[in-house]
Amino acid sequence: MFKKILFATTGTPSCDAAARVAFEMAKRYNTELFIINIFGIPSRSFSQVITDLRTGDEIDLHDDQLAKIKNKLERRYKQQIRDYNTPHEIVLTDGIPHTEILRAARKNEIDLIVMGARTSTQENTGAVNRHIVGRTLQSVARSARCPVLIIGRAAASFWGGISNIVFGTDFSKGSNQAFEFAFNLTKMFNASLHIFHAIDISSGPFEFTKNQEVIEDRIREVRGMIRKRYISKMEGYNDYEIDVWEGIPYVEIVKYARESFADLIVMAHHTKKMAPPEESVFGSNVEQVVLRSNAPVISVNHPARQKKIDNQ
Amino acid sequence: MTKKIMIVDDDPVIVKYLENIFKNSGYKTCVARDGSEGMKIVKKENPDLITLDLEMPEEWGPRFYRKLSKEKPFKNIPVIVISGLSGNQYAIHKAVASLTKPFDRNVLLKIVKDTIGE
Repeated sequence: MFKKILFATTGTPSCDAAARVAFEMAKRYNTELFIINIFGIPSRSFSQVITDLRTGDEIDLHDDQLAKIKNKLERRYKQQIRDYNTPHEIVLTDGIPHTEILRAARKNEIDLIVMGARTSTQENTGAVNRHIVGRTLQSVARSARCPVLIIGRAAASFWGGISNIVFGTDFSKGSNQAFEFAFNLTKMFNASLHIFHAIDISSGPFEFTKNQEVIEDRIREVRGMIRKRYISKMEGYNDYEIDVWEGIPYVEIVKYARESFADLIVMAHHTKKMAPPEESVFGSNVEQVVLRSNAPVISVNHPARQKKIDNQ
Repeated sequence: MTKKIMIVDDDPVIVKYLENIFKNSGYKTCVARDGSEGMKIVKKENPDLITLDLEMPEEWGPRFYRKLSKEKPFKNIPVIVISGLSGNQYAIHKAVASLTKPFDRNVLLKIVKDTIGE
């Protein structure tokens, strides 16, 4: 299922949890690992001067500088490279980070992109502290043709294998694609699949939030929908749970994942537009789950969008 | 009655070190080398507290904890995570404490004493 994994890193401690997941997955599932670092943005066309993405300084790009950056990256992941002994390739490039990550993913026919949600190392400005995901992650998750595995917190790191997968559905078309992916993963890992839906009572009609019987009727209805839409496609695979809770969807998913000891959460990412950071304080459900969850999140793109991207 | 502490760790040096600390402080000990052995030993020994490493060859600590928390008679046994892994405080959110190797024996003993008494 995964032959090639692309790990996008800034080479800073903020990506350490994502690194652990990337290396562990590459080793356990015998995949080739590409480690990509976009170190700077060109200052002007055909210029050798780039703006360092970490420091903001302008640096003159020459071979020595490149070797220095590569060396620094290798030093950062030296122990993992040695311990995991997995086939890997370091890709260094300058450019707009999300464009280069997507380009590398396309070029190398990547099956899974792994990245952290937290891109800034500055405590007071980092994405997690502002409760929004970084621009790079937003753009990659929206446009990648392969699933994107996102590690939002150190807590969402790799803790010894994948045996519990939570699939969070909102019954959208994108969720159908995400289910297919989650189920294939479940079979591959011989895991338990937890199919979960949260009934949003934060923005429904008053009658709906006032009356618990209405909510519980809806819960029964949704359980039926899950059976019809997903369980019927599981070819007799019976290691699964169906759970429907009411509340604020992203909060309930995070709570459910914690209580069911999820190793992985799979969700569809189908936000159509990218909100400016100041407006996306609460972001989409998947983005909020990424930032808050104890488990890594795999964001699966809408099939139509994947098709469109593939045709480009 | 003497309290019993179960040590789950694959490193024999750490196991010996922890055994000495606990025995010298008047606790009984039992040992499991990884998570899968851990469940058998828990059922046999019914310990009062467990010290748990995270990264082990056969079965990692979090997996062991997951199984433990499904077993009604054992799910409330307090667990102290002792690991060299970075971010170990996030691995088991119901652990009473998380210590990073190398750790201060006095800190460990204080946590043990506060949790299960002497």
